[in-house]
Amino acid sequence: MNAINQILSWIPSLLNATGVTLLLTVCSVCAALVLSVFLALGKISRFQPLSKLAGAYIFFFRGTPLLMQLFFIYYTLPMLVPALTINSRFLAAFVAFSLNVAAYLAEIIRAAIQSIDKGQMEAGKSLGLSYGQAMRLVIIPQAYKRMIPPICNEFVMVLKDTSLVSIIALTDLTFQTKIIAANKASSLVYIPAMLIYLVMTALFTVIFDRLEKKLSVYE
Amino acid sequence: MPIIETIDLCKSFGQLEVLKDVSLSVEQGEVVVILGPSGAGKSTYLRSLNELETITSGKILIGGELLDERRGGHSLVKLTPEQRTQILLRMGMVFQRFNLFPHKTAAENIMLAPVNVKGIKEALAREQALDLLNKVGLADKADEYPARLSGGQQQRVAIARALAMEPQIMLFDEPTSALDPELVGDVLTVMKDLAQSGITMLVVTHEMGFAREAADRVVFMCDGTISEESSPDEFFTNPQNPRARQFLNSIL
Repeated sequence: MNAINQILSWIPSLLNATGVTLLLTVCSVCAALVLSVFLALGKISRFQPLSKLAGAYIFFFRGTPLLMQLFFIYYTLPMLVPALTINSRFLAAFVAFSLNVAAYLAEIIRAAIQSIDKGQMEAGKSLGLSYGQAMRLVIIPQAYKRMIPPICNEFVMVLKDTSLVSIIALTDLTFQTKIIAANKASSLVYIPAMLIYLVMTALFTVIFDRLEKKLSVYE
Repeated sequence: MPIIETIDLCKSFGQLEVLKDVSLSVEQGEVVVILGPSGAGKSTYLRSLNELETITSGKILIGGELLDERRGGHSLVKLTPEQRTQILLRMGMVFQRFNLFPHKTAAENIMLAPVNVKGIKEALAREQALDLLNKVGLADKADEYPARLSGGQQQRVAIARALAMEPQIMLFDEPTSALDPELVGDVLTVMKDLAQSGITMLVVTHEMGFAREAADRVVFMCDGTISEESSPDEFFTNPQNPRARQFLNSIL
């Protein structure tokens, strides 16, 4: 009983920190989604410089550890370019995660767009649609549905990857858990912390499942 | 003045020459059927006309207007995107695999281009779409998604969709090849009605019955060239070209 009471007493401060984790995840993925659409369209563009640029971006952010990108933005960048100093830990983490996740999402979106039958673009063109119109009205609406499972996957990964921010002392769920474990000298705190991560993951999975079903009406 | 004129059309995919100096003129209102063995370049020729394939060299005139002229792959024509679209919109296309937009209902498929390309009001576009669906015998399927339609019904929606842009020319790229045999008839009926309406048609098909009944002229393509051009009667009873004779023997 003692252990249970002890665990319950930690819940408020853990939930407080959960807010940071959740906010960081949702904000980063949303910003990354916007950026990744441009990256994906850039990468499949037939305009070579644009395609190369998008390719280089994706190569860099997928090719280096997220942890180092976080360090780089929070510590290194201010040394190189003082104007780009980000004082807020949350903001620095948000920028690092958005930039990183965008690279992964861009590949998901590109693959979804390219998986749509070529005949769809041809039909669009034969009806006088411009490339942009065909993308917007024909291709991307069909690609949405195929993006959802991998984007959900990415969402869950980001949720857990946010635990890396404890390294720049941002008080997310993982950092708070470590503080409690150290202060109270009890490793029991990992149990409620992991349960909270699981509940959040379950929540995202349910939301994305619903979204996928809603988008399959035409099949 | 011919409504379609191609002069010395050549198209290569790398080393492979698919079209070799194909010259053909089609008059307004004519129904021309292109026959030939597979790999003859029939579909490539059709797709070159509305720029789904880019020709390597030659000249394409639509309604007397130069759409493309190339030498060694380089274009000699400078058209603004608007001018190009204007010319391309004179042609409607029907594909072997229908290519309906699966996330749109039958009516929405038909309305999409009129609303977004021509800027027609939604209500009016829907009215026209229902009219067209009625014409192809699918008045009751307006709000069905393509997945709920049979292949024959899908192809008829696709024909209606192309007609919605009011083209002067309809290009058919093996419109019945992907259909179950019992569904071919409905599509051919729609095409025959269309042929009677006076629209110019260029049809790549293996339906000899359609060629015999509806065509004004039969063009036989083989190895990337046109090897025979004649009336359907002449072509089916007395083909001149040995390859055409061989082709007819193999399918009859």
